[in-house]
Amino acid sequence: MKLGIDIGGTFTDFVLFNTNNKQLFFTKTLTTYPDPTVGIFNGIQEIREKYGFKVEELSDIVHGTTLVTNAVIERKGAKTAFITTAGFEDVLEIGREMRYDIYDIFLSMPKPLVPRNLRMGVQERIDTHGNVLEPLETNTLDTLAEELNKNGIESVGICLLNSFVNTAHEKAIGEFLKEKVPNVYYSLSSEIMPEVREYERSSATAMNAYVQPITDKYLKDFEEQLRQSNYEGNINIMISSGKLTTIDGARKSPIHLLESGPAGGAMAGVFYGSLLNEENLLCFDMGGTTAKACVIYEGKPEITNHFEAARVKRFKKGSGLPVRIPVIDLIEIGAGGGSIARVNSMGLLTVGPDSASSTPGPACYNLGGTQPTVTDADLVLGYLNPDYFLGGEMTLSVEAARNAIQKTLAEPLGISIEEAAMGIHKIVNENMANAARVHVLEKGMDPRHFNMIGFGGAGPVHAFGVAKLLNASRLIIPVGAGVTSALGFLVSPVASEKIQSHIAELGNINWSEVNAFLSEMEEEGIQFLENSGISKENATVERIVDMRYTGQGHEITITLPEGPLGLEQVDEIRARFKKEYEFRYNRSIEGIDLEMVTWRVVVQGPIPEMTVHQFTEVKSDKEAFKGNRQVYFEETGYLDCPVYDRYLLKTNEPFDGPAIIEETESTTVIGINTTVHLDRNKNIIIDLRG
Amino acid sequence: MTLLMKETTTKFDPIALSILWSRLISIVDEAGTTLQRTSFSTVTRESNDFAVVLMDRKGRSIAQSTISVPSFLGVLPMLTKALLADYFPEDSWEEGDVVITNDPWLCAGHKPDIGIVSPIFHQNKLIGFIGTIAHSPDMGGVLWGAGSRDLYEEGLMIPPTKLYTAGKPNDTMFNILFSNVRAADQSVGDIKAQIAANDQGIKSLLKLMQENDLDDLQDLSDAVISASEKAMRKALQEAPNGSYQYSYDTDGDGKGNGCHFEITITIKDDEIIADYTGTSGPHPLSINAVLNYTYAYTAYPIKCTFSPDVPNNDGSFYPIKVTAPDNCLVNAKKPSPLGARNITGNMLHSVVFGALAKAVPEQVQADCGSACWCIVLNGEHNGKEFVEYFFLNGGYGARPNMDGEHVLSFPTNVANVPIEILESDIAVMVTEKSLVPDSGGKGKYRGGLGQRFSFKNVGDKPLNISLLTEKTQTVAKGIIEGQDGQKGSLQIIPEREFPPKGLDKLHPGEELILTLPGGGGYGCIEERDENSIAEDKILGYIT
Repeated sequence: MKLGIDIGGTFTDFVLFNTNNKQLFFTKTLTTYPDPTVGIFNGIQEIREKYGFKVEELSDIVHGTTLVTNAVIERKGAKTAFITTAGFEDVLEIGREMRYDIYDIFLSMPKPLVPRNLRMGVQERIDTHGNVLEPLETNTLDTLAEELNKNGIESVGICLLNSFVNTAHEKAIGEFLKEKVPNVYYSLSSEIMPEVREYERSSATAMNAYVQPITDKYLKDFEEQLRQSNYEGNINIMISSGKLTTIDGARKSPIHLLESGPAGGAMAGVFYGSLLNEENLLCFDMGGTTAKACVIYEGKPEITNHFEAARVKRFKKGSGLPVRIPVIDLIEIGAGGGSIARVNSMGLLTVGPDSASSTPGPACYNLGGTQPTVTDADLVLGYLNPDYFLGGEMTLSVEAARNAIQKTLAEPLGISIEEAAMGIHKIVNENMANAARVHVLEKGMDPRHFNMIGFGGAGPVHAFGVAKLLNASRLIIPVGAGVTSALGFLVSPVASEKIQSHIAELGNINWSEVNAFLSEMEEEGIQFLENSGISKENATVERIVDMRYTGQGHEITITLPEGPLGLEQVDEIRARFKKEYEFRYNRSIEGIDLEMVTWRVVVQGPIPEMTVHQFTEVKSDKEAFKGNRQVYFEETGYLDCPVYDRYLLKTNEPFDGPAIIEETESTTVIGINTTVHLDRNKNIIIDLRG
Repeated sequence: MTLLMKETTTKFDPIALSILWSRLISIVDEAGTTLQRTSFSTVTRESNDFAVVLMDRKGRSIAQSTISVPSFLGVLPMLTKALLADYFPEDSWEEGDVVITNDPWLCAGHKPDIGIVSPIFHQNKLIGFIGTIAHSPDMGGVLWGAGSRDLYEEGLMIPPTKLYTAGKPNDTMFNILFSNVRAADQSVGDIKAQIAANDQGIKSLLKLMQENDLDDLQDLSDAVISASEKAMRKALQEAPNGSYQYSYDTDGDGKGNGCHFEITITIKDDEIIADYTGTSGPHPLSINAVLNYTYAYTAYPIKCTFSPDVPNNDGSFYPIKVTAPDNCLVNAKKPSPLGARNITGNMLHSVVFGALAKAVPEQVQADCGSACWCIVLNGEHNGKEFVEYFFLNGGYGARPNMDGEHVLSFPTNVANVPIEILESDIAVMVTEKSLVPDSGGKGKYRGGLGQRFSFKNVGDKPLNISLLTEKTQTVAKGIIEGQDGQKGSLQIIPEREFPPKGLDKLHPGEELILTLPGGGGYGCIEERDENSIAEDKILGYIT
């Protein structure tokens, strides 16, 4: 049996996969504070009681958590110091000197995680080729250790100039700290992110140091408690690239946990895609404040190395702290159930990106909210059932929703409440479709070639509208749409990802040097997998390089040919680059050499197989059809629309839309000109005609 | 309210218009991203020094890429209107045409900025234009900077010319380009990237028109332009009527021949006029700005003040007028040299905010430690000639409710080049990059700190250097009783004369120490919160 556990801000989600009878079980508990492990063990207890199994029967536990992200956003990390080459202590604070919003003179930039008085310089200098120009001044290190003690420092980040070429000085400082202040954690930039660009490397290193003590303690406790409860199986941790690492790996580089939840969602998309034979999919996840979209191409999620944590201005590129780690490439926009609609200064209806927080929340919650939100619109249009929100845990007020829309939107715009509500619904769909379209186009792909999969609390309400705008021909609303991340954890492979910057022109490269560090990285990766019980034979190795035309600033990623590299492979590498460049930008450039920048070696274990026999078993004589209700569609206005209970729908009995399908965590809205059926796994499959 | 753009009852309701409008903006943004990712020019790709603009068939702008720097505000529609009026009338365009020009008076004020305009045809009918402006890696002439003596030293001038006629390339023009510019593959590569960006924009626009059954752009254009115009006028209407003056001095050559700015801003109901009468005459250094460019950098702080959220199109600019005497520093005429006109343009926000502080003190910021300093190095590295640009920014001005940020680009938006990239590209070593304590102007809110950046030639050959500094003689002014920021300085070791603006050589072993100015303060220092002072001391922002 395998168990996926995802800790979110409000809920901790569990997915249990019984490897014997191939059944999946889902459950949720409230996340507990300050110690989330309490909630985990409550949850485990709950599913044990519910489904009757012993801890000893579990072979794998995979865990993901928002702990790291929240520590950075809420600035609740450890007291951290930062050591740099003397004269460069302020690099972490100066950043790239660029504004993220051109017209907002009232903008603020993110504050550095380590304040100026805790950043310390050491005398040393290494040049761009790795030569030591000035040896490390070891005498000053003693004073430095005193400073750390005096200030009660718990963790130290170290980032020296050009340390990605020569790691000696950083390592020496690390050794010194280990000996002199053994209780202090330290993070070396040459281990955390050995890539060129001092600010980005500093930022990642400082963040790793900042979150390491709390993550370390948490994971240690988590592991100990599991072992105490007689668990003897594997424990893996989900990381941002959609892969799994070990507890030790996560304790060493906790920043890789930053996007574990969203990565799980994307990996669930990969899984459903393979289940449904859909190689190319657009995953669409919409919650209370945010919608995310991610492209799965040829069965793989797209990976990016550009990521920002803790944006000062939500959804605004450039307003966060950069962390160059491999992350599943997700777009995120301010469009969720709570997004607020208003009339802007130009007299136009706009929605988001700001949202009503959970209290008072949307007007229809009747908790004092007066601004109309997406949820209010969805309620007025009949998409949501006022008596069956969150499975009936909450009653919504249609009247409050109508009043808010009437007063703030319909009246000033001179349109009906329904028109305004439809406007909100359409605009939010359009915003998401627009962002998804740009995201797909940026990758050089055509959005019309993608079918969609929709999940998250508000995802199934809006996925149909978005799919229509993107001309998708099929939309899938998977079962377990409320716990997708935890499910994704169970279908992700264990992997090691090594990075090395080495800048050289393709026509003028020292291949023996490159081959040496590539095989060293590969060896380390294989060692890592063997330590987590995966043999060399079961490992796959992928070597990739970020490269560009010499003189450009933006790199694209190419898979390197197998085996040792040399002059014989140059033409092949050039051809692969050209093909990828043309695919993305519809052109290539003659007469300019290529430059290789960053090299990566991914050593990956097998993707866990999960043949699902059946997702949930419901035995009931009740009919799935719950009755008709008035639902507003753009083409028709209000009409009598059949409403079904998802849990009671029979598989493989197609019917035509429109339809509303209700379940505890969400509602699926299906418009006209559609055929709907449930596959044998209870996924809702919607085929859009024309 | 008198709208220049007649308000028409359009077929677009507030919902349809909202949706179509965001599609239009995402079309130009998309094209901009492609341009940025495929270009060689450092300033284009790292500093967003480009713009993509969609226009109707009269050359009125409908949508402009959001991240473009202010220098291009309103420039492409001005160019396209001029092309239609004086060069290529409406009925002379064919599908597949591409027009190129870098004429500073038609385009963005200096020769490296190349304008590329393509017509858009739908159902065999001209329905509009799409244009891009981007900073080319090179246009020939002397090394870019303030060092040229006249316009002719600044390289190739391309009058409006068809680079493609109905899809057929103009080989003569391509040959001329190839024969006149350094790093020709890359420079011509960037021009082709601009054309590709235009083509992509056209494709996306036609798709949008097809999906929404639009035959023409004019109705949509009328609708968005009048909405933007209305929003701008409404914001202006709320500001008090009156005439507001401000005067301001800058370094000029940094050696005693300074520049003086005078501005009178008149707000009358829903219009605003900025007049530069009293400003210095043309400067012998190439820091002169043409009126197009002056307009862009004057309209920019006005827009930040009154309608930061309204998308840019022709309508946003109808209520803003900018006038300047003929042949002065901000309205240069031929053959004044213009290469480093950004130094002058980057100062105009100081003048505009200074005057507007008297009308709407809660909507403006104090002066920044601008202009952005530019360093261009040219020489040989590993047997190849290189031209390396990099940029440094000073402190940001304080705001009515918060301190200025340290070391942040304004009004342009230019990122620094990472030290490790710089050192791997050429034989220099950076010896310091740090904040300068006490450089921010004091006040209720403190100006942001400037920075010190020092580097050394560690190669065995001298490097040609073109340097552009500012505020080594003058300061970023505080406003509303805020104090001035600290001025910058420039030092070379071993010590010798070094031009604050212009061309020189950096010899092997020589080290240049650049100290950039801090931003101005806002409000009276006596009103500053004690905790903020204590925190500034702990962090070493003040001593």
